[in-house]
Amino acid sequence: MARVCLIWVERPGLEGLDPAEVAKRAGLSLDPGGAIPAAVVTAPEWAAPPAVRSRLAGKPAQWLDLAGEVGGGPAEKRLARAAAAVARAAGRAALGTLPQVYTAQPAQTVLVAGAGLAAVAAARQAGLLGHPVILATPFGRAAQAGADDEAEEVSLLAAQLPAQVEVLAEAELRHLSGAAGDFTAELQTPQGAQLKRFGAVVLAPAGGYAPPELGLDPELAKPVADLPPEGLAGSPDKWLQAAVIAGVDAPATADAFARAVEAALALQARDFVQTTLLFSEARVASEGGERRYREARQAGVIAARVAAGGLEVAQGGRLLKWRDLLLDEEVQLRPDLLAVAGPVAAALPAFLANPVLWPAWPQLVPEGPRFSGGRTARSGLYIIGALRGTAPGRARRVEAAAAAADLHDRLTQGRATPVPSVRNTACASCLTCVRVCAHGVPRYGSDAIVCAPAACVACGMCAAECPAEAIAPPGWSNPELIAGLEAGLAKSAGTKAVLFACGQSGAQAFAELCRQGHEWPEGLLLYPVPCAGRVGMQLIMKALSSGAAGIMVAGCHDGNCRSVSGNLRARLRAGETAALLERLGLGPERVEFLHLASNQPRRLAQAVDRFVSTLG
Amino acid sequence: MTIISTPVLILGGGVAGVSAALELARRGVPSVLAEKGPRLGGRVRDFCCKATQACVHCGACRLGDLLAEAAARPEAAFRSLALAAEAQREGGVWQVELRPQPDEGEADPLAQPLAEKTTVNAQAVILAVGYEPFDPRRKTRFGYGRVPGVMTALELEAMLGQGVLVGHDGQPPESVAFIQCVGSRDESLGNLYCSRVCCGFALDMAGLIKEGWPETAVTFFHMDVQGYGPSWEEALPHMRQAIDFVRAMPGEVSAGENGPRVCFAGPDGQPRSREFGLVALSQGLTPPASAGALSEMFGLNRNQDGFLGEDAALAVSGAQGVFVAGTAQGPRGIVESIDHAALAAGAAMESLFRAGKEAAHG
Amino acid sequence: MISLNDCDPGFKFEVAAEPGGAGIKACFACAACSARCPVAGHREEYDPRRIIRLTLLGRREEVLSSPLIWLCSACYSCQEVCPQQVRFTEVLTAIKNLAAKAGYAPPSAKQIAGLLAGHGRLLAVTEFENEKRAELGLPAVEERGADYAAILGIAPEAAEAGEEA
Repeated sequence: MARVCLIWVERPGLEGLDPAEVAKRAGLSLDPGGAIPAAVVTAPEWAAPPAVRSRLAGKPAQWLDLAGEVGGGPAEKRLARAAAAVARAAGRAALGTLPQVYTAQPAQTVLVAGAGLAAVAAARQAGLLGHPVILATPFGRAAQAGADDEAEEVSLLAAQLPAQVEVLAEAELRHLSGAAGDFTAELQTPQGAQLKRFGAVVLAPAGGYAPPELGLDPELAKPVADLPPEGLAGSPDKWLQAAVIAGVDAPATADAFARAVEAALALQARDFVQTTLLFSEARVASEGGERRYREARQAGVIAARVAAGGLEVAQGGRLLKWRDLLLDEEVQLRPDLLAVAGPVAAALPAFLANPVLWPAWPQLVPEGPRFSGGRTARSGLYIIGALRGTAPGRARRVEAAAAAADLHDRLTQGRATPVPSVRNTACASCLTCVRVCAHGVPRYGSDAIVCAPAACVACGMCAAECPAEAIAPPGWSNPELIAGLEAGLAKSAGTKAVLFACGQSGAQAFAELCRQGHEWPEGLLLYPVPCAGRVGMQLIMKALSSGAAGIMVAGCHDGNCRSVSGNLRARLRAGETAALLERLGLGPERVEFLHLASNQPRRLAQAVDRFVSTLG
Repeated sequence: MTIISTPVLILGGGVAGVSAALELARRGVPSVLAEKGPRLGGRVRDFCCKATQACVHCGACRLGDLLAEAAARPEAAFRSLALAAEAQREGGVWQVELRPQPDEGEADPLAQPLAEKTTVNAQAVILAVGYEPFDPRRKTRFGYGRVPGVMTALELEAMLGQGVLVGHDGQPPESVAFIQCVGSRDESLGNLYCSRVCCGFALDMAGLIKEGWPETAVTFFHMDVQGYGPSWEEALPHMRQAIDFVRAMPGEVSAGENGPRVCFAGPDGQPRSREFGLVALSQGLTPPASAGALSEMFGLNRNQDGFLGEDAALAVSGAQGVFVAGTAQGPRGIVESIDHAALAAGAAMESLFRAGKEAAHG
Repeated sequence: MISLNDCDPGFKFEVAAEPGGAGIKACFACAACSARCPVAGHREEYDPRRIIRLTLLGRREEVLSSPLIWLCSACYSCQEVCPQQVRFTEVLTAIKNLAAKAGYAPPSAKQIAGLLAGHGRLLAVTEFENEKRAELGLPAVEERGADYAAILGIAPEAAEAGEEA
């Protein structure tokens, strides 16, 4: 075992702690300077002085945000908590480091498959960031777009594509596998099929509009974009009746409503045409949406609010009936013209329907706040534009810009973590890791598990679920975590409890409480983990067998996990462990899972206090 | 007087500003961010998590991730207590004078307070100065500041964030009413736009109330419910079961015997009144207080609604090298503001490229 | 059952073209006016937004012939609360003018108009009035004073003719 030194970096929140005393209690020696075999540092790597960072390069070092672990209270208690945290980190550092895992360099070429504003904007931004880009468009040229895009806007942008962007015309993406740094794509062009390696892939299929299912005769009901030719008009004796439908079963999107309003305005501007705009909610939340809605009314458009599902369609739309909610009377209309606004849509690429290689849509493109800006669960894959339901115009430029920056950052190692190490001798090729990794990092190569070079976020779900302890992100293997757990618990005082806290939620809330001076229970050992999904049954059992009276796992709320299901998996495993404890007669209440967000420190404090008080 | 140079200066340290700094850092572009207050995070610092059974996608928790990433990004430098007072453009470079603001003793772990008057030379400027919540006193008939138990949605939020819910009499209310569109969709105030976030904000808070105080009846006075994506549309019918949706704008809120009395028209058009323990006014988002000064300082258009920067100006990546991110440009939610910063950062980067090219050729 | 095909799309434009009627089409049915209307509190058929709605749908005859349009007390509460600046009190004046033109004025309004036309006032001036005025030291007034024609905006000859009639 390497001898571990404590390097004390003073930080706000560490006031009053005596470094020598902390080191002594944790069983470490204070930094003697010079070359040291292994170290625990009391600050995150970014906050440590450059000299410390360079001294520790390549050494087993644990960077501890100690100020985010100690909290307030009497000096003696703070000292004990600091010592336990340092001991925990030292336990892991003492194991040394694994040699750097060799992987291929991430491919730098970016594939943008699709057409229209989103595709062209993404290709342009990725190209400006220095990546070779292949823009594979189904059309003959880059400037061509789907029905939903503003043709002029796309042409203008397509004319400014940087030299790094190669346009592949009449191309179809037939097959895609892999993750960031190592995608394999099969592209079909008139010249034949080609297999290419890409670092990142942006999917932006050409969009159109999906008409709502209302039983309308397509001869009569046209999309709002296809207005009847100029010159069509009624007469003073016989006004023409036009109807525009903007979300009557389900409310329209703001974008569809805005398009419906534009159509209504255009129709109403004709001579002796009376336009009725039918909707269940006026979705005016687009820029200028309210203004245009008022202009339409001022122009004479009748705004008719219909209860959701309350529009009765007869004769294919030649007779419309609804109840006027305000008059509480039946209203009917026989429209001469009928226009319908639907949401934007694009065809799902066929390869995504392969359930072996791709997760279902909700798992691939979760709706949560961590998957905005075109991001998907699969590292390095971005889905933008109509396929994602993104409104035309600025929102698509936003997605393209965010996706380009994210992929650039990922491929140039800005914040990439080293790839998981796989012990081939232990691996049984059961593919559990392939199945549980939301980011698509491990895949089965010719005879072994291989990991994509720029895709891992170190959530550690693979390590938690692997039955053979054959895979783990560097630093997050079971042996390392258990070494820390045992060392930390050995130095904890009083009733011992472990709080495994997710880096996206629990650990942030814990640190915030420490900054506020919250006083934690004496024997509570924080164990920050990159994702609650890292905490498997084995770690929980190990904590119990190492002297902890109770284990709490604090992960993100349902639907807010960066790795899609790490929180749910952690909750499941905690539940299973509790059930096992119950069967053993040891009390299921010793293990608990807590859903939490980073901005809920009070909820964490209350839950921990309550939990620890029940352990007795 | 200090002079510092940076490719991009960002004004405003809320989620949009911090995101802009991160978006630039991801592109390898250094930046300096100036926040006039003591802390980074802006208004989102005060927003609480609204998850009940599951995350409701409000995005408030993203601030933690943003600040954690910001700490680890050496490209982004943060200055607090720094107010932009003057700006001029010379030879394609903005010279912006930052003035130190009075220190109130609240330090930010990431930002360094501005010690003295500083001139920042920057090729591009991103304005991320946020929004101003509508002052409900301007809508006198809703009784804010006059009728006990009438508060703003933001005040209710602050209370719920502390796990507390008390009404007009200091007790947990038996009933709560939300009044939507206070200061939005209102031609008489000149605010002829939808503030976009308030329906989701109010109904998510209603969800929190129903979870924490299940006996409390919640009424939602509104005109139209805006949309926030597929899962929202799925959840709406369930909300309609738990919450009383009244499609009518109240005429007046006055002091009643048992709390604020709301008078509104029933479905039959008849005026009726009901007393609530608490009435929350969902005030809209209005342009930032500094919009006028900044538009003058940087020669930037304001859109019809008074927000900074027209869409077209941003799309062609402003010849003047000034870009707008987040709610300073128009009402948008937290996640939308975070993403919107990517567009401003991307456009700023393009302008740097262009300037570089011109310099190389010229 | 209302059939929009049988309604008069031009009606709302007609109302909007009348003095005071311009705001009618801006209404987005928020119901703030109805919430504040004191008349609606007394007569349950009376509902400002209902009148607006029927007008916008083009229910010409129904609106103009309705006795409800004459009930407004002109308190301006609706106008004050309206976020879309419909100015309903003024809109209703426009509607009432159209109704009168179409011959739909209610008996009371006709009676008032007759009084005005006949006496230049809403009452006939008799000895009784002038005696009371004299007690208060006020000058006597004449039935149809010198300014009679000017106030009613009619030529003096027409006033003479009216006298004969």
